[in-house]
Amino acid sequence: MPEEPTNNNDTLLQVEDLQVEFATYGGTVQAVRGVSFAVEAGKTLAIVGESGCGKSVTVQSIMGLTPMPPGRITKGAAYLRGHNILGQKTINGKDIRGDQIGMIFQDPMTSLNPTMNIGNQIAETLIVHRGYSKKQAFARAVELLELSKIPEADKRARQYPFEFSGGMLQRAMIAMAIACEPDILIADEPTTALDVTIQAQILDLLGDLQRETGMAIILITHDLGVVARMADDVLVMYAGQVVEHGSVDSIFYESAHPYTLGLRAAMPSNDPERNQELTPIDGSPPDLFQPPVGCGYAPRCPYAMKVCAAQPPAVHHIGPGHEARCWLHDPANTQAVPAIHNATQVAHHE
Amino acid sequence: MSQATQLPDDAFAPLTRSQHVQSLSRPSLSYWQDAWQRLRANRRAIISLYLILGLLLFTLIGPLLWRVDPALQDVDQISQPPGADRSAILTEDYQPWYGDPNTPGEGLRLAQPASTQAVRLQWEADPDAAEYRIYRNIFPVGTERALGLPLFETPANQTYFEDRLDLRPGVYFYTVVIMDSAGEETEGVILPDGQTPGSLPNQLEVEVKRVVTLSEARQRGLVDADENPPMGTEYQFAWHPLGTDYLGRDMLARLMHGARISLFIGFFAPLLYVLIGVIYGSMAGFIGGMTDQVLMRMADFVVALPFLLFMILFKVVFSIGPGESGITPMLVAMIILLWPSTARLVRGQILQIREEGYISASRLLGAQTNYLVLRHMIPNTMGVILVTLTFAVPGAIFTEAFLSFIGMGVAPPTPSWGSMCNEGIKTMLTTPHELIFPALFISITVLAFNLLGDGLRDALDARMRNRE
Amino acid sequence: MYTLKRLLLGLITIWFIATATFFGMHAVPGDPLTTDKALNPTIRENLEEKYGLDKPLGTQYVIYLQNLVQGDFGISFTQENRQVNDIIAEHFPVSATLGILAIVFSAAGGVLWGALTALYRNRLPDTIIMFLVILGISVPSFVVAAIGQLSLVNLNQTAGTSILPVGGWGTIWHMIVPSMVLGLSTMAYLTRLMRSSMLEIVNADYVRTAKAKGVPAPQIFSRHQLRNAILPVITVLGPQIAIITTGGFVVEIIFAIPGLGRYFVQAVQQLDYTVIMGTTVFYGAFLVFMVILVDLIYGFIDPRVRLE
Repeated sequence: MPEEPTNNNDTLLQVEDLQVEFATYGGTVQAVRGVSFAVEAGKTLAIVGESGCGKSVTVQSIMGLTPMPPGRITKGAAYLRGHNILGQKTINGKDIRGDQIGMIFQDPMTSLNPTMNIGNQIAETLIVHRGYSKKQAFARAVELLELSKIPEADKRARQYPFEFSGGMLQRAMIAMAIACEPDILIADEPTTALDVTIQAQILDLLGDLQRETGMAIILITHDLGVVARMADDVLVMYAGQVVEHGSVDSIFYESAHPYTLGLRAAMPSNDPERNQELTPIDGSPPDLFQPPVGCGYAPRCPYAMKVCAAQPPAVHHIGPGHEARCWLHDPANTQAVPAIHNATQVAHHE
Repeated sequence: MSQATQLPDDAFAPLTRSQHVQSLSRPSLSYWQDAWQRLRANRRAIISLYLILGLLLFTLIGPLLWRVDPALQDVDQISQPPGADRSAILTEDYQPWYGDPNTPGEGLRLAQPASTQAVRLQWEADPDAAEYRIYRNIFPVGTERALGLPLFETPANQTYFEDRLDLRPGVYFYTVVIMDSAGEETEGVILPDGQTPGSLPNQLEVEVKRVVTLSEARQRGLVDADENPPMGTEYQFAWHPLGTDYLGRDMLARLMHGARISLFIGFFAPLLYVLIGVIYGSMAGFIGGMTDQVLMRMADFVVALPFLLFMILFKVVFSIGPGESGITPMLVAMIILLWPSTARLVRGQILQIREEGYISASRLLGAQTNYLVLRHMIPNTMGVILVTLTFAVPGAIFTEAFLSFIGMGVAPPTPSWGSMCNEGIKTMLTTPHELIFPALFISITVLAFNLLGDGLRDALDARMRNRE
Repeated sequence: MYTLKRLLLGLITIWFIATATFFGMHAVPGDPLTTDKALNPTIRENLEEKYGLDKPLGTQYVIYLQNLVQGDFGISFTQENRQVNDIIAEHFPVSATLGILAIVFSAAGGVLWGALTALYRNRLPDTIIMFLVILGISVPSFVVAAIGQLSLVNLNQTAGTSILPVGGWGTIWHMIVPSMVLGLSTMAYLTRLMRSSMLEIVNADYVRTAKAKGVPAPQIFSRHQLRNAILPVITVLGPQIAIITTGGFVVEIIFAIPGLGRYFVQAVQQLDYTVIMGTTVFYGAFLVFMVILVDLIYGFIDPRVRLE
């Protein structure tokens, strides 16, 4: 975003105006259209949005995991402690992937090599980045499994992925990702494929590990419940753009973008006094083969104005560290801003 | 915000919703429309499709245009490559010849112009010679003195030789070796006309022209019975665009008729065994349980039979009688042996589809089994079946060719590409066209079907669609 | 337990093959002994005694099975006092050597080329290799064999001496070209299979995980991609062995190799019933066990099967 908070010392990763597109047989998809954000040490940034909004592509591009071709980063930069890491494998001789940034994925069942035992897969990271011997690395892998609260870790380390349950596999994935004590852990929908009780355990584990190691977490999710539980800062993405950015409280209590509001209205609440119906957001996201001229959300937005369909909205400052990309907040908008802040609040802290 | 000043007055008026903004901007395509579009975009598959259509025209329409009997033997043109000289000069009937010492020139020379009727050689006597041995070669003789075919030995007093042995139009190389009294060959040869001693080559190069006598010409229909053209008139023998085989049969006509056999087996065997496989496999998949187990175990047994050995066994069991082509036994054998692979595939597909959510949904909505089969199961297995069928065609063509090649398939004289290859391979070194043409036809057909199959698979495979 | 079950099923399959062969051969019109072949009286006597050919079919079948269980395939019809067992023992090792060499050649080549084409997907090496592969699949084996022999002749002619023998059997030099010719189409097929399997795995989640771990590309290739991509290649290896060993007779005929395949074709031409039956059952049994062997090897490589 143009009005970036000043680059203070706590900023680990700073992404500026990232643009990614994919050449497919149907045409070019502009998956990410100018995304900027910053991650601070020890904090959790949640990236929220519905499927296909570009949240996974954003982090995968930073990690260099988008297949190229068909993918292409057309613009932007990502600075890890001031060094641009786009297209880089190392900074100052230190590997980025696996060493400074760890990553876990959505489906633990398919994200581990089926023909290699768990211990060896964790040990591989240590052998590659730390130069451990095979034996040393395996012993450390067992410790890491214990750290991830896997019982009988030394026995489990010799087993293969198909002998693990989904939750256990995700623990093993986490053990693998934190093996080299990275500064940042990217968790790409880590709990989506798991059932609810396991979800909570995994999130607790991530929280514990963050407290112990002080790493930053980038958490990608479409579950606002997970956001409320884990995040310090929240990035709401829609159609390849950041539509709202702010602290978790401002996002939940002072939602400034109609899309954020829509997401909240579609989320169940555990407030017993509110016997509220869940309101889905009508319609579907725009076709990113031909991105809309105006605001991508305008066709679905209950507050849409004529200008929304005609011109792209600018980013507007709402409060400290809180911004929204919406015409409603344009100073030229003399009409009354709908009282969207007063929409029913969602209880999020237990 | 500088841009705000340029905004029209009513910029912030509420937007009236119109339905069209919500609809998807791209038209949606049905499964088959989408597949067809993908296939059309695949240039190799489309070229293959045209090739296959061309082959069908070649075998169905071809014989109507090229009305040459594939079994007709042209004894004048045996094993002729395409584009060979087919002119023949009208000549006198054969007259015996006993040498002509007055032939102009010195050394080994031709007494008369060489023709397919006879090559008449004359030479001067050598004082050391007890006998002469005459050699003929179709290649020039090199330093290694590979003189070729020994034709005859003449006594010292006979310094002429008449070669009438199976002469074809073309170039021959003759050598006359001097023999000593012990009957052994010496180093000496009769030098050809104009050759200085010590230089090579010591052979006489003779270009043999094809000739035809008046009676032969009448017999072949080149000359009418009441016509009496002068000697030396040039005639053209029948045209064979792709040459002739070792029995003088027209290659083009044989390839056209051979294509019928190869393509007939190539199309019908897969069609029938895939059909049987589909019925068997879907039965096993539908009924499930014990029936499924028994049916599939049976299929396993048939799969375990060594295929080519059993194809050969069938040939023995059917014991083809004289005059039969052997196509039916081959077809039956293929069907009996090859259905299980399709059956397995279809069963797997049906079992997989049975578990899909949309089947349960359809069942919950009260769909009958017939409806489920027609509306869901068959359309969803069609793609796989079509691809299997396309890949089965080259397999069947190969099997026919292979069996005919080892003499266990189509019985001669019925032409098939495989049996033509079998005949052609014997003369591979001297007349390669007899092998090359049928082999080329097999390869192109198989290639076309393989590429079309690839294209179809890519176009129909839903998984590929998601991945791109 | 799994192995035992597989072996038992294999035995039943062999019994099925033997039965199919027996009744197939007895469906041939007329008694095998009353064909127009002039049968040596000694052989005839031996046969009648041994097979009870005057007895009903059921009894003959029982005798046949009894002999089979004892590993006795009988006596040749056309060669006096020659045991079918001896014929197999003499000629099969030749075919097996040829087949094994061809399989090794095609599997190694297929995996190598397939992996290479997948890595260079849609670039020049991929295009060239895949063109050759399509050619290899589309040219019939006998043409490949003929071309192979022709190039041997040319090679020797160009070199002036005999670099490699044009035909026959005996030394390792005799085996090189025939086994390559025999394995060529299988290699082409395996290359295609390996390529598509590799392409599937290039996008697999666990390869992405390995990349995210920062594992260098060569290690991702060797430790994560190759091993998983080879699995489908191994599953088809069993049937491919069948195709190669039975496809061997063309190569054996063209290169004048004294293998069992060539002998089988000869036996069919001479209607030597016992040799035909013996060879078929023997080949069938061999193939059944090869398929079981390949399955067991598969279990060794894929832990999911091993531990079930």
